[in-house]
Amino acid sequence: MAMTDFVIITRSMRARRFSTLLTALSVSVAVALLLTLLMMKDAGRAAFERGSGNVHMIVGRDGTPLQSLLNSVYYAGIPRNPIRWAEFEKIRDAHAPEVPMPPGIQPGFAVPIQLGDSFQGLPVVATTEAFFTRFEPVAGRPFEFAAGEKFKENFQAVLGSRAARDTGLRVGDKFNVTHGSGMNGHVHDEFEFTVVGVLKDTGSAHDRAIFTNLTSSWLLHALDRLEREHGHDHGHEGHEHGPDGECLHGPEISEADLTDADRLITGVLLRTPTREGRDASAAMATVFTALRSDTSLTVAQPSQEINRLFAIVGAVDKILIAMASVVLAGSAVSILLAMYGSMDLRRRQVAILRVLGCSKGRIFSLVLTEAAIIGVIGSVVGIVLAFAAGPLIALVMRRQLGLFIDPVLPPDLTLLTMVGVIVLAALAGLLPAVMAYRTPVANNLKPLG
Amino acid sequence: MRAYSHGVTTPSTPPALEITDLKFSYQPGQAWTVNVSSLTIAAGEQMLLTGGSGSGKSTLLQLIAGLLEPTRGRVLVAGESVFDAAGASRDKLRGRRLGMIFQTFNLLQGFTALENVMASLAFAGTPPKDQRPRAAEALASLGLSDINRPVEAMSVGQQQRVAVARAVVTNPALVLADEPTASLDPENAAAAMTLIQQSCKARGAALLCVSHDPAMADRFALRRSISSLADH
Repeated sequence: MAMTDFVIITRSMRARRFSTLLTALSVSVAVALLLTLLMMKDAGRAAFERGSGNVHMIVGRDGTPLQSLLNSVYYAGIPRNPIRWAEFEKIRDAHAPEVPMPPGIQPGFAVPIQLGDSFQGLPVVATTEAFFTRFEPVAGRPFEFAAGEKFKENFQAVLGSRAARDTGLRVGDKFNVTHGSGMNGHVHDEFEFTVVGVLKDTGSAHDRAIFTNLTSSWLLHALDRLEREHGHDHGHEGHEHGPDGECLHGPEISEADLTDADRLITGVLLRTPTREGRDASAAMATVFTALRSDTSLTVAQPSQEINRLFAIVGAVDKILIAMASVVLAGSAVSILLAMYGSMDLRRRQVAILRVLGCSKGRIFSLVLTEAAIIGVIGSVVGIVLAFAAGPLIALVMRRQLGLFIDPVLPPDLTLLTMVGVIVLAALAGLLPAVMAYRTPVANNLKPLG
Repeated sequence: MRAYSHGVTTPSTPPALEITDLKFSYQPGQAWTVNVSSLTIAAGEQMLLTGGSGSGKSTLLQLIAGLLEPTRGRVLVAGESVFDAAGASRDKLRGRRLGMIFQTFNLLQGFTALENVMASLAFAGTPPKDQRPRAAEALASLGLSDINRPVEAMSVGQQQRVAVARAVVTNPALVLADEPTASLDPENAAAAMTLIQQSCKARGAALLCVSHDPAMADRFALRRSISSLADH
């Protein structure tokens, strides 16, 4: 390799490797912070936009429409106030009737869901087959099965892709669901569910859910109700216990035992009829108003609620990005200080290079390029760190918030950040470069000490 | 006065150094720090310039190298006027025509021995493909084999060889040596001077060595005191 300016710069950096490394590290941390925040901002919004798919409205009985959205689409919590089946039928028949539509009109749908049970901390969603056939978690992309098929009978279950991975369950495996979740739940060991299907990834919260039919869920809760009403009868003929004291009897309840008090749901995914090729309908506003006339219901329009959420979170985003920018500016100052601090050593090197025939202009360019190279190293390492941090944060978000985010670094934004950092670093190198340019040669060739 | 060497100067070979009426002071109005009416060193000639501390010996070398601006006067190195060239042109002239050796070697820290010598070639305008072989050859000729070690990891003797190789590798017209043995004991000083003088001779470079060490006098046929160069 010939003695190019690049070699001179890298050797100069090698001579001050500790200071160079620390400075580059400070730049890379700032870049990683900025990029991670930008990445999370977009990924967070994208995550929220996935999941509600082709739904126009979510009807619930939660405190706020936003809560309804978070509970029914992102499974962030368990709704406390149920909707009776008769109420659901009324909503369905009024706004998404299952009747033949005129030509050019796509029928709507009303898909009931009930939340409250779990398995290994994953939400169990009781619903109908329409959830798989009509509802699309991402608009234009219906559910697809990776294995098996949708449930057809009671006590059959379909697993979201991640639920299948996390639990290790496969088609044909059996499991018991827990009523409630966490410490307050109790296992429904009276009924075993059989896995009949596993869904493909959708990139939404539905991936970590387990789906059963409504009747199965109603039967579980009806049994709870009966036991509460009559007490658990351990004295009847044939009642046996296992070695751990668990009851060894089969289901003692059938669909005939279900009452209106059992037939409850917690939300409705509603889509009004639309013209073919259209996503929205003129009827949406009317339907929205009509539904809200029942003040006990909450009606959420996903897109509006997401906008509302991000209007709140957006301010925090801006503050965080401003802070990251300040950190970035701080790292530029650290380049300046590191280079300024090394000027005593650098002056001798500059003087030697001048003696060898290096011009002042080239000295200026060498120092400026060195600062820019620190910017390049810092931004490249920062991008790598951000790449590594993305999946890590996604994992934490999934475990802690149940949010599926897919952090992606937009190439244009990454490039812009990189160019910005390099320019900033070069600007930080301006003062040391001027000082190097003006270094008096004679004084700096004298013996040290 | 005019000091002529015993070297061979043909009409086609300009003197390695020709100084005329060179004056310099650090502050206007003060006494001259450097006052040389005339000094000529023929190509390949070796001269010792003596003088006490603060007599302006080192300042004279920096003026010859074009690192300081004179108050007035003229310096020609291999027939090229140092002060007629400005900025990068003067730097290029210094890179091509001059080599410098210092008391403390002034090697580039963080660079290997080979890279130190290659840097000299690079600034002298040597084509990139020739830099490595020429630098390696110069170091080998001075008995250095471990040329890819950083200079700070080398012994004083090895560093001195690197410094000499760096000064002569470009085949300069003139090598300026500024107290090259001041920090060495007499035995090592003698060895170092032999190395410098032989290297310059081998490359056909003239040598102007400044020193206040009286022991150096015997090594040079041509000796001058800096005070004797002034016009009175």
